[in-house]
Amino acid sequence: MASSSASLKRREQPISRDGDQLIVTPLGAGSEVGRSCVYMSFRGKNILFDCGIHPAYSGMAALPYFDEIDPSSIDVLLITHFHIDHAASLPYFLEKTTFNGRVFMTHATKAIYKLLLTDYVKVSKVSVEDMLFDEQDINKSMDKIEVIDFHQTVEVNGIKFWCYTAGHVLGAAMFMVDIAGVRILYTGDYSREEDRHLRAAELPQFSPDICIIESTSGVQLHQSRHIREKRFTDVIHSTVAQGGRVLIPAFALGRAQELLLILDEYWANHPDLHNIPIYYASPLAKKCMAVYQTYILSMNDRIRNQFANSNPFVFKHISPLNSIDDFNDVGPSVVMATPGGLQSGLSRQLFDSWCSDKKNACIIPGYMVEGTLAKTIINEPKEVTLMNGLTAPLNMQVHYISFSAHADYAQTSTFLKELMPPNIILVHGEANEMMRLKQKLFTEFPDGNTKIMTPKNCESVEMYFNSEKLAKTIGRLAEKTPDVGDAVSGILVKKGFTYQIMAPDELHVFSQLSTATVTQRITIPFVGAFGVIKHRLEKIFESVESSTDEESGLPALKVHERVTVKQESEKHISLQWSSDPISDMVSDSIVALILNISREVPKIVVEEEDAVKSEEENGKKVEKVIYALLVSLFGDVKLGENGILVIRVDGNVAQLDKESGEVESEHSGLKERVRVAFERIQSAVKPIPLSAS
Amino acid sequence: MGTSVQVTPLCGVYNENPLSYLVSIDGFNFLIDCGWNDLFDTSLLEPLSRVASSIDAVLLSHPDTLHLGALPYAMKQLGLSAPVYATEPVHRLGLLTMYDQFLSRKQVSDFDLFTLDDIDSAFQNVIRLTYSQNYHLSGKGEGIVIAPHVAGHMLGGSIWRITKDGEDVIYAVDYNHRKERHLNGTVLQSFVRPAVLITDAYHALYTNQTARQQRDKEFLDTISKHLEVGGNVLLPVDTAGRVLELLLILEQHWSQRGFSFPIYFLTYVSSSTIDYVKSFLEWMSDSISKSFETSRDNAFLLRHVTLLINKTDLDNAPPGPKVVLASMASLEAGFAREIFVEWANDPRNLVLFTETGQFGTLARMLQSAPPPKFVKVTMSKRVPLAGEELIAYEEEQNRLKREEALRASLVKEEETKASHGSDDNSSEPMVIDTKTTHDVVGSHGPAYKDILIDGFVPTSSSVAPMFPFYDNTSEWDDFGEIINPDDYVIKDEDMDRGAMHNGGDVDGRLDEATASLMLDTRPSKVISNELIVTVSCSLVKMDYEGRSDGRSIKSMIAHVSPLKLVLVHAIAEATEHLKQHCLNNISPYVYAPQIEETVDVTSDLCAYKVQLSEKLMSNVIFKKLGDSEVAWVDSEVGKTESDMRSLLPMPGAASPHKPVLVGDLKIADFKQFLSSKGVQVEFAGGGALRCGEYVTLRKVGPTGQKGGASGPQQILIEGPLCEDYYKIRDYLYSQFYLL
Repeated sequence: MASSSASLKRREQPISRDGDQLIVTPLGAGSEVGRSCVYMSFRGKNILFDCGIHPAYSGMAALPYFDEIDPSSIDVLLITHFHIDHAASLPYFLEKTTFNGRVFMTHATKAIYKLLLTDYVKVSKVSVEDMLFDEQDINKSMDKIEVIDFHQTVEVNGIKFWCYTAGHVLGAAMFMVDIAGVRILYTGDYSREEDRHLRAAELPQFSPDICIIESTSGVQLHQSRHIREKRFTDVIHSTVAQGGRVLIPAFALGRAQELLLILDEYWANHPDLHNIPIYYASPLAKKCMAVYQTYILSMNDRIRNQFANSNPFVFKHISPLNSIDDFNDVGPSVVMATPGGLQSGLSRQLFDSWCSDKKNACIIPGYMVEGTLAKTIINEPKEVTLMNGLTAPLNMQVHYISFSAHADYAQTSTFLKELMPPNIILVHGEANEMMRLKQKLFTEFPDGNTKIMTPKNCESVEMYFNSEKLAKTIGRLAEKTPDVGDAVSGILVKKGFTYQIMAPDELHVFSQLSTATVTQRITIPFVGAFGVIKHRLEKIFESVESSTDEESGLPALKVHERVTVKQESEKHISLQWSSDPISDMVSDSIVALILNISREVPKIVVEEEDAVKSEEENGKKVEKVIYALLVSLFGDVKLGENGILVIRVDGNVAQLDKESGEVESEHSGLKERVRVAFERIQSAVKPIPLSAS
Repeated sequence: MGTSVQVTPLCGVYNENPLSYLVSIDGFNFLIDCGWNDLFDTSLLEPLSRVASSIDAVLLSHPDTLHLGALPYAMKQLGLSAPVYATEPVHRLGLLTMYDQFLSRKQVSDFDLFTLDDIDSAFQNVIRLTYSQNYHLSGKGEGIVIAPHVAGHMLGGSIWRITKDGEDVIYAVDYNHRKERHLNGTVLQSFVRPAVLITDAYHALYTNQTARQQRDKEFLDTISKHLEVGGNVLLPVDTAGRVLELLLILEQHWSQRGFSFPIYFLTYVSSSTIDYVKSFLEWMSDSISKSFETSRDNAFLLRHVTLLINKTDLDNAPPGPKVVLASMASLEAGFAREIFVEWANDPRNLVLFTETGQFGTLARMLQSAPPPKFVKVTMSKRVPLAGEELIAYEEEQNRLKREEALRASLVKEEETKASHGSDDNSSEPMVIDTKTTHDVVGSHGPAYKDILIDGFVPTSSSVAPMFPFYDNTSEWDDFGEIINPDDYVIKDEDMDRGAMHNGGDVDGRLDEATASLMLDTRPSKVISNELIVTVSCSLVKMDYEGRSDGRSIKSMIAHVSPLKLVLVHAIAEATEHLKQHCLNNISPYVYAPQIEETVDVTSDLCAYKVQLSEKLMSNVIFKKLGDSEVAWVDSEVGKTESDMRSLLPMPGAASPHKPVLVGDLKIADFKQFLSSKGVQVEFAGGGALRCGEYVTLRKVGPTGQKGGASGPQQILIEGPLCEDYYKIRDYLYSQFYLL
């Protein structure tokens, strides 16, 4: 993409204690390999990256530590790729927990996810109670999974995210999440080396604030791809040329397709090999071939260009093999078979029958789990135990050529140097390897501004981001750009993490919200002269205007320009006003007044001569109230000189001037609190102004 | 002031001409779409030619001629050199469409507006985006973000959103809100209140869209009726756009009914089209990708459709009734035209149009009511030269070659002389050499001469001609020779060799026959003859255009409710109709500019940015309403350290403001709410709601369309003084937020 050349600016983010807390907690893959699952929480939004299981354990023990979190609080779950250790606990999490957020993965991942897990359920031979989910759960989960295309930006509850190519396997993605301007990159498994069919992991256009990165390879360096491939093809060529058979035990998906591409191309370039058959013996791989033949767009330009001529995943020299019964073992051949660890199945059957012939060869194409036969034979023992329990000499040649698609140290360090994230969190790596990587990375970023963290499972990493809240003032309010000291009042609308300030009557213009006015009209039974009401109202309210209703010609009164009182008929009075708290109050008092007239209770008389006095009294009352409230808030409040209140809290002293509202104190926190409290008290004890400004 | 936005149509306003619009955003010029018609009328591109060189970016919306046809020509002849942005399918299918156009044209005329190479080079630099990918432009367009979104009309078809400073300009033409077999409906309605919406009024007057099921039934019935009586069915289609939907309908129907009538899809690029389409599942409807995910059934693995790339294959097909989908839809060129001429006079046959033909084309003529009985058709054909013509041609070619050779040799001689001018002695052998060769080998001379001279490139300072000599001095330091590690790195040649080997043709796949046609340099000429074709076959037109109808367009625009609206691409009546409708209902700013008339749709929206200080925000209590939260703020403007305006809390008590009720009351929802609270409610006449025994509640004032220019809602509640009244008022208040 053309954007790759865009300059990467390191985001200046002073990390201070004040700010919003961001928590990253690995629920799996923290200082271990397997069951990737990383929880992240920031400003009330919760995200889960990946949902894998640990291949070495079974049942509940293989799950990530879901107990640490509340599944129902998760907004978004993002799956990077289809491997078991990244996606396999998804059916469980979707169907057996309270999770009700949204799940996203790429198209290719979703297509393979189903095939892979269905196969996983079939082959994992565990007891029924240990079964985490069955095929039905997988099918149900398919309906809940949403797809996301590379670079497509999706927004859920204000969480923005998009994904980049990760290069690890078909459909593998790195997710970039943006919450209120803070960006987090989760790489999943990635590889920065372009291979035969996959693109190298992209360098994101923006530098993230936090990079959660895999560390499988630790500080290792990979052999160059070219040399690996040459070793691979040379071994195969020489073996079959001498009439031997080549066994490649491999995992069904991912690297296997890459190896098949290499073989098919090598065969195409060497016509002398055309009579030697190549088989891939994996029903799963055969099923997935359609996916590989379809999602060409997720692959690299090389494949896309080849696609212009013919689909490179329609192999010309390679055929599928369903079972050993269909295999006619008569001469030299190349067979790629599952499982990769030679535990059982077809790869083991072939191994057993071929291992004692020194013409044959076995190529182990990647990382092998401890305890499997494949791992054992890498050390080339003299003898091996066959499936039937007998021992046989191991005469066949064994080669270990790693085609692992994890970034090695060189790739990781350049990737991080380009991105320069201020925070790096290492996951998905064996603890020792991870520490070595951490040490080595520290030497690469000597400036000390980069934090590198290696949390263990359930260990939270806390960070603070002072995310600036920016608002846009629009519409009438923004006609004049205000200067310092001007007042801005309006409705603040928050959507996701964007803020807008607007005038109330423009709310419907700039947002999907609307305002309403509620007009109320009530009728009150009243028998008597309308003039009485008028008289009484004038006694109580400052402004009572007389008018006549235009339509009916009946007399009407308008009280405080809010409430209209009208004589509807001989027996009824109607009140009409538009709702707001003050008008409601005024109308209530009018209603009470009208009802009282009919009941003839003692009159309400205004004592005009006492007006001055009562004001004084009122002032005293107010002071008492203020004092009482301050005492209830701060405890130690003493009356000082000149109407100054002295407030003591924990040895800090604040002096409050009641007249001006000014506060003096050496402790700024207390000062601010007293000031705010006093302001609020004052606005509470003040009479309600009837006229809205 | 907001971002400045100007729109200048270059083609395709007040008529159905191809689409091409210039949208300039703060001085950055976008050319949105670059269409041409099937007649390749250069006069249509004149406005474009005047601005082509000033364009900074091209956005393409759909992979058909009307939306991108002029791209190769504009790149080659008009000086258009901006980067092009499109989705992957638009790029790929657009390329194939242009190949098909070119090859169809080349067959029948000496087409010279552009060549295959021009098409390739025009499409080579397309930057491919995915749906909803926010692409940040750099350089001159810094700050502008573009993103394509689903349009629903063709595979990969996009509506474009251009954003700058939070203001959206949306370009949406030919969208379809209805979900189809292979496409999702448009997401246009997800955009709310953009600053500018540029849209077409193409279907504004078109209303009687039949339901999909009924339409499909009629479509298939019509086809099978004609097949059963032994007739052939011709569907003139586009190369790679709407035809995909038709193929799926036919494919599905054929497998359900078990029909054995063959279906042929005939364009110059049919097999590549389908191959590519098979790998575009990400871009198709949910149901297609779902069926692939669950059963790995690629919907475009066509079992009943035979893909053909030349007419001979069709002629060799077993006789009998058949369905043929052939390009071009306009019947102006391509296989469809040939087949039409052949089949038109048999009353058993059917020509089924699935879209309105372009203006002024044969297809349009045939779609008029009543259909013409006879049409005059000029049929042209490219034939290889033979006999005397061939000899004359060859002689001409030889003569040209000789002249060319002579000229080249003269030029060379000049050059040689010039370069050796300073030293006559040394150059002498060279000159002699040239002359002798020339004399000996005659017309083949220059070739030899080139070789000889190539070997003897004299440097200007050289005394005598010599082979190039490079002084191989190596640098030494204390440890020996300095080694450049790069020299010892094994290059990735091996892997690239394979790629070159297989994938040298970067620009897309051409079918073998097509390739041979392309590479066929045998001398040929075009002969034309005019025929009168009797049209006795049935002509039927059905709507498979995949565009929203007038009513949906209106409700869609009302929903989007842009602040300003620009209408394009429709006949004058439709434009005027929609303009009036929008003026009355949506926005007072509706424009329908003429060609080359620039309308300024800069939003007069005032806006400025402020920082919300922590102090202010800690006092603000938000109330949640739908997916947004609202609060009232009273604040004072201050400055931050970075000289940014920031809002601080008011120093004294804020002066009271007029209270605002925020919320959107739906009477029907409120009714449910009340009944859930145990209040008896029922609708009284006139939209009023009777709550309890006496209280009535109604909305008054103009009930404008949602989000339109209507003001705040007016709600009237009335009743006698009673407890119920206050209870219901409280319930009513609970539906709103008081700020």
